[in-house]
Amino acid sequence: MATDKTNLQLVINGILNENPIFRLVLSMCPAVGISTTVMNGFMLGIAVLFVQVCSSCTIALFKNVIHPRIRIPTYTLTIATWVTVIDMVLAAYLPEAYAKMGIFIKLIVAFAIITMRLEMFASKESINASFWDGIGMGLGFMFGMMALGLVRELLGMGTILGYDVLGFKPLLFFVLPLAGFFCVGLMMAFFNYIEIVYKRTKRA
Amino acid sequence: MKDILTIIFRLTVACLLAGLVMGVVFISTNKAKKHNVHINEKKVMFSLLGYSSKNPAPDNVAMHEVYRYLVGEDEDLAMGYLLPLQDGSFSFVTINLAGAFVAQTAVAIPAEKVFEAGERTLAIAAAIGAGKTIRYADQTIVVTTGGQRTAYLLPGRFPGFKTFIGAMLALDQHFTILGLEIMEHEEDPGLGGEIVQAYFKKQFKGKSLETIKKLEVVKTPLPDEYLKALEADKFGTLGAAEVASIQEQYKDNDIYALTGATISSRSVTNGVKAMVKKFAYRLEILDRVLVEQHIAVPF
Repeated sequence: MATDKTNLQLVINGILNENPIFRLVLSMCPAVGISTTVMNGFMLGIAVLFVQVCSSCTIALFKNVIHPRIRIPTYTLTIATWVTVIDMVLAAYLPEAYAKMGIFIKLIVAFAIITMRLEMFASKESINASFWDGIGMGLGFMFGMMALGLVRELLGMGTILGYDVLGFKPLLFFVLPLAGFFCVGLMMAFFNYIEIVYKRTKRA
Repeated sequence: MKDILTIIFRLTVACLLAGLVMGVVFISTNKAKKHNVHINEKKVMFSLLGYSSKNPAPDNVAMHEVYRYLVGEDEDLAMGYLLPLQDGSFSFVTINLAGAFVAQTAVAIPAEKVFEAGERTLAIAAAIGAGKTIRYADQTIVVTTGGQRTAYLLPGRFPGFKTFIGAMLALDQHFTILGLEIMEHEEDPGLGGEIVQAYFKKQFKGKSLETIKKLEVVKTPLPDEYLKALEADKFGTLGAAEVASIQEQYKDNDIYALTGATISSRSVTNGVKAMVKKFAYRLEILDRVLVEQHIAVPF
């Protein structure tokens, strides 16, 4: 069952129609807990992009050999291997980037989005399609995290990317994980509303 | 039945393959990673002492590594220190837990190899003979300027809110804190992760040994002027003299906790407290033994 979307459509699909955070509602843990600043969101997004693309391609490569009853342990094994590899390579060759991103990389093993995407897409599609779908998902995740991070950082700390924009801290509450739940829910509602309005104007 | 065998076989193959990939990557990247960690450590050490690329350390500044080991012989435990001697060789001094000198053995190890844990263990084991087990404890670096002790650098590790926090502490010759640097941690970004920020780390600067022994964490907000002084390097709002006077004012205060990260703040404070107290106690014993036994160390 091959997908009939072009590569660009796959990428845009990951960012808009099937955005991991706001549509598929997967990987809520980082979306709620780690999206406290824009930089955090960006760093984690890049890391997830790498792991998603690499894992998708690996599973697409081996999809005929994986026994269906042990596919989940196999996915977890692949993800864990890639996370470890990326962690070691970063620590060895990009120490400055590793100093910033190191904590996030280790967390990726438990994210639902990657396992789910492997199950829903990579185990059925070609390597080429899986590659672009992985990129789309990673970018969608990154944009979602950055959007959340923007709102939470601005309202919680008064800064964007560390630069003091407001000069005061409106509501420190936004930095706590509890606010993550509120923000994700409200933003999901907001984006759904935009889509309804968009579809309505398109039909009219 | 056949299904189960296929499953077991394929899962085993997958695990072995994953292990192989990780092993290969580990072997090819481990050296570079260790090198990076080492360079970072050196940079941190120099910056804690006040030197940087714009202000390099003068030639008469020397760093002497002292390695502490636990020596076990049957049921007895003793403390062993691997020290550099004045003439460039190394000696292993054993002191029992009551503070009395036990033995001194010369250790044959070239100066470049002493940085590697494996080489050290082999050389020490060969020197002290069979029947004794040694276990590495920690490392201290004694910094001398022109032969006089000016600072101590203590790399240390203590439990944090999540797992461990690796820190590097710099003390001057009277055990007053010159600076604290967090080398590694796994605290939450944005909450406990703020322990790496200047407005937390710099609070430790200038605290004397007496203050450290009673150091606690208070949950009142950081006073504005103190915050400005702590972040003066980043924002450049205050002159050096003002910063110094404000820091002098708050020198004997307790540590102001991080918002939303009381436990991480307490972990760091207690960790630093333990490091300094234990170090001061052990150094006193070591110094006494060195003087009694007339061991010629370059510090």
